Amino acid sequence: MVDITPRSLSTFQLQLRRFAQNRLAMISVALLALIAASCFFGPFAFPFTGEDADFDFIGAPIDLASPHPFGTDDFGRDLLLRVLEGGRISLAIGFLGAITAGFIGVLYGAVAGYAGGRTDRLMMRMVEILYGFPYVILVILLSLLFGGGNVALFAAIVFTLWLTPAVIVRAQAQSLSKREFVEAARAGGMTPWQIVLEHIVPNCASVVIVYGSLLVPEVILSESFLSFLGIGIKEPQASWGNLIQTGTAAMDTDLRLLLLPGILLALVLFCLNFIADGLRDAFDPNDR
Amino acid sequence: MLRFVGRRLWEGTLTLAALVTLTFFVMRLAPGGPFSKNRKISPEVLEHIKAAFHLDEPVWQQFARYVWGLLHFDFGPSTRFRDYSVGDLIASGLPYSLTIGFWAIVVAAMVGVALGIAGALRRNTPTDYVAGILGVVGIAVPIFVIGPLFQVVFALKLNWLPVGGSDQGWRSLVMPVLVLSLPNIAYISRLTRGSMIETMRENYVRTARAKGIGARRTLMKHTLKGALLPVIAYLGPSTAGIITGSILIETVFAVPGIGRHFVDAALNRDYPLVMGITLLYGALLIVFNILTDLVRGWLDPRARGNG
Amino acid sequence: MTDSLLSVRDLQVKFRLPAGAMTAVDGVSFDVKPGEVLGIVGESGSGKSQILFSLMGLLASNGTARGTASFQGQDLLALGPMALDSIRGVTLSMIFQDPMTSLNPYMRIGDQLAEGLRVHKGLSKAEAWKAAVAMLDRVRIPDAARRARHYPHEFSGGMRQRVMIAMALLVRPALLLADEPTTALDVTIQAQVLDLMAELGREIGTAIILVTHDLGVVARLCDRVIVLYGGRVMEEGEAEVLFASPAHPYSQGLLAATPRLEDALTKRLGTIPGTPRSGGAMLPGCPFAPRCTLKIPICDATRPPLIAIAPERLVSCHLTGAT
Repeated sequence: MVDITPRSLSTFQLQLRRFAQNRLAMISVALLALIAASCFFGPFAFPFTGEDADFDFIGAPIDLASPHPFGTDDFGRDLLLRVLEGGRISLAIGFLGAITAGFIGVLYGAVAGYAGGRTDRLMMRMVEILYGFPYVILVILLSLLFGGGNVALFAAIVFTLWLTPAVIVRAQAQSLSKREFVEAARAGGMTPWQIVLEHIVPNCASVVIVYGSLLVPEVILSESFLSFLGIGIKEPQASWGNLIQTGTAAMDTDLRLLLLPGILLALVLFCLNFIADGLRDAFDPNDR
Repeated sequence: MLRFVGRRLWEGTLTLAALVTLTFFVMRLAPGGPFSKNRKISPEVLEHIKAAFHLDEPVWQQFARYVWGLLHFDFGPSTRFRDYSVGDLIASGLPYSLTIGFWAIVVAAMVGVALGIAGALRRNTPTDYVAGILGVVGIAVPIFVIGPLFQVVFALKLNWLPVGGSDQGWRSLVMPVLVLSLPNIAYISRLTRGSMIETMRENYVRTARAKGIGARRTLMKHTLKGALLPVIAYLGPSTAGIITGSILIETVFAVPGIGRHFVDAALNRDYPLVMGITLLYGALLIVFNILTDLVRGWLDPRARGNG
Repeated sequence: MTDSLLSVRDLQVKFRLPAGAMTAVDGVSFDVKPGEVLGIVGESGSGKSQILFSLMGLLASNGTARGTASFQGQDLLALGPMALDSIRGVTLSMIFQDPMTSLNPYMRIGDQLAEGLRVHKGLSKAEAWKAAVAMLDRVRIPDAARRARHYPHEFSGGMRQRVMIAMALLVRPALLLADEPTTALDVTIQAQVLDLMAELGREIGTAIILVTHDLGVVARLCDRVIVLYGGRVMEEGEAEVLFASPAHPYSQGLLAATPRLEDALTKRLGTIPGTPRSGGAMLPGCPFAPRCTLKIPICDATRPPLIAIAPERLVSCHLTGAT
């Protein structure tokens, strides 16, 4: 007899396949990859840097034939290059920030949820208190504490964004810790740490992927928001936030300075939201 | 009921205490002081000023002094605006911030709920798609991009509304309120739509339809209540978003509210003012969360018992 | 049978699914006389609940019903939503399977009961409330006047189903559709709730269609029975006759699979081999053929017609036709 059962796929493979069938999400992935690639590699194609002022082209308009296709700002710095360099910072902080915050949150939540009892109550009470803080205020204060700069900004954002993944994973871990395979692992003599790392965390993967994908746009938004207010990344280093800020100052005469970074930021956020939606549809069994 | 409110207030007080402590020490530990930017002051004068603000005392003593003041509703003097106390500054800025925030929530709730219901009732029709697109735009385009664009279009090009400021009555309010409500319209409409679709599948809604009471009454008396509960639950935490937004809005539209004060104060190390506004924001957030829970309990009989 | 209260002819219920069309009910016809209790029996997936939903206009949005269902002179399947609402909850009521989720959790029980009276009969708030309390009392909710002010979560499952019965019968309908009303309940109170429903139905003169997979329930309460398999009628007859001498192999299998007290110690419980088909294309032959132990070649090829073997007694099987 010929075995005609189709090769069985793991749940994860099925979910990935479902995600790949979501056209909007796939377009977003492609567009995001394109933007990211140009931000990371594009600047190398320029013979100058984003901080070099070109005194022959101060406040130059869009002119595709000139060495500055999208023109320059009031200091003669190439706008396109600055926007790309700004994107590099924004995207790097966004992804690294989301991964770090997600990592801390998952570990914290998994430990609290698995441990249960008093440890859980104590750990969650702390999260609740931090939740009660006005989030932006906290970011602003922390970025002041760390003295400004990229690392400070990064730390401040991560510090405030690990809470949501912690709460979500903790709920998941709590229900997992009562499941048979965890009981079996415990009976088999695994240490609590081993159980958390080998059973709890991997089984939270789909929740983490769905909510983690929402963290990335949140981090990027926080970064640009702080830079816009003058608290985050500061001139002369470019970031989308402070480029938009510069753009607003000149918007009555020259919209270009506002539109280029603004549109790119919005595009990236669009893509990330569509990807997050697609992931949720693919990984969350209760469809909407 | 009273016990519930009491417990929540107590928890809120704890949170505020933690907030005060954290903010206080973060501000002191941060590099730079309130007068470090001011290079013209001679060392002796600086000593004098520091003494006047008790900045020469040990940190723990300053903290004790501050907390003691708080217990008497004294937020201390502003180190930047010498002639004003923090209380004065907050009192002058708060009305602007509250007006904008209040109307933004009202607009967001009304428009968001209406769009969400329309989308759910007419699923996969142009109405649904338009609401969906608006939802995505509201979430993806930051208000510090939309705000300036609105200014360019409605103020600079069309000349319908003032670019900013606060001196033209309701005309000054239109753009800040609209822009601030946009992200919340987006969230609320998505939330409402999802929750409506879920509720319409509930068995009790089917029971209502089986009673033959008509589509309209089924919607108004049965579906809506269940569908709007998560939306109401969201309104409490959304205050935080409104606060965030109002900081940006006040910067973009040059509104002299407390959000703008806060950013200035943070940049200038005006400790007492930062502390005062942080405390105010924290308290607002706590009060709104308690209010939300109360409204939910009032609407959902199942939530009442476990207070 | 011109004296029928409800007369269903060639009812077809189809669902559009991603995989294609699925036929849940395939050409079912039956009659309900005033005041009688008709049982519709079948395994899960036999389409029995969908018959009731199609009559109430409550099919899921991807479902369509064809055929006719004339109820007091009107075709339920052809009515628009407005016209249907002058029948639903007035002369035609329904009780659902899951009492835990079928009552509105945000509305007081009394208000939910009174709602129908206020909308359909134009009663005042106070009158409707009084009637609701009286009805709750009749379904033996203790302390009904106080309980009417409570919310569904404050009632047990059995009580909630009694509330559902009260709500359905409060408007004194001519026909009550009951979709497995006790499946979700504790075994010990199932009989109680069913007896209450039948008793009140008799008092008011309401006919009942009782959909269930529980043959014991049918035997006790129903006047007539329809046995459904794969969306088609296998056999129909008076309850006593059908249980005494089931004619269709499926009915025989079903009865053999029902525990009887007197056989408990001596006999092994019978089973029907295989599992019910769900979805997919309709078979050209008898839907039960793949599981039938008495199958002959023709069963796979042609559909057996539903023929009368005695007055009020219909069977759809090639074997009965031959013998």
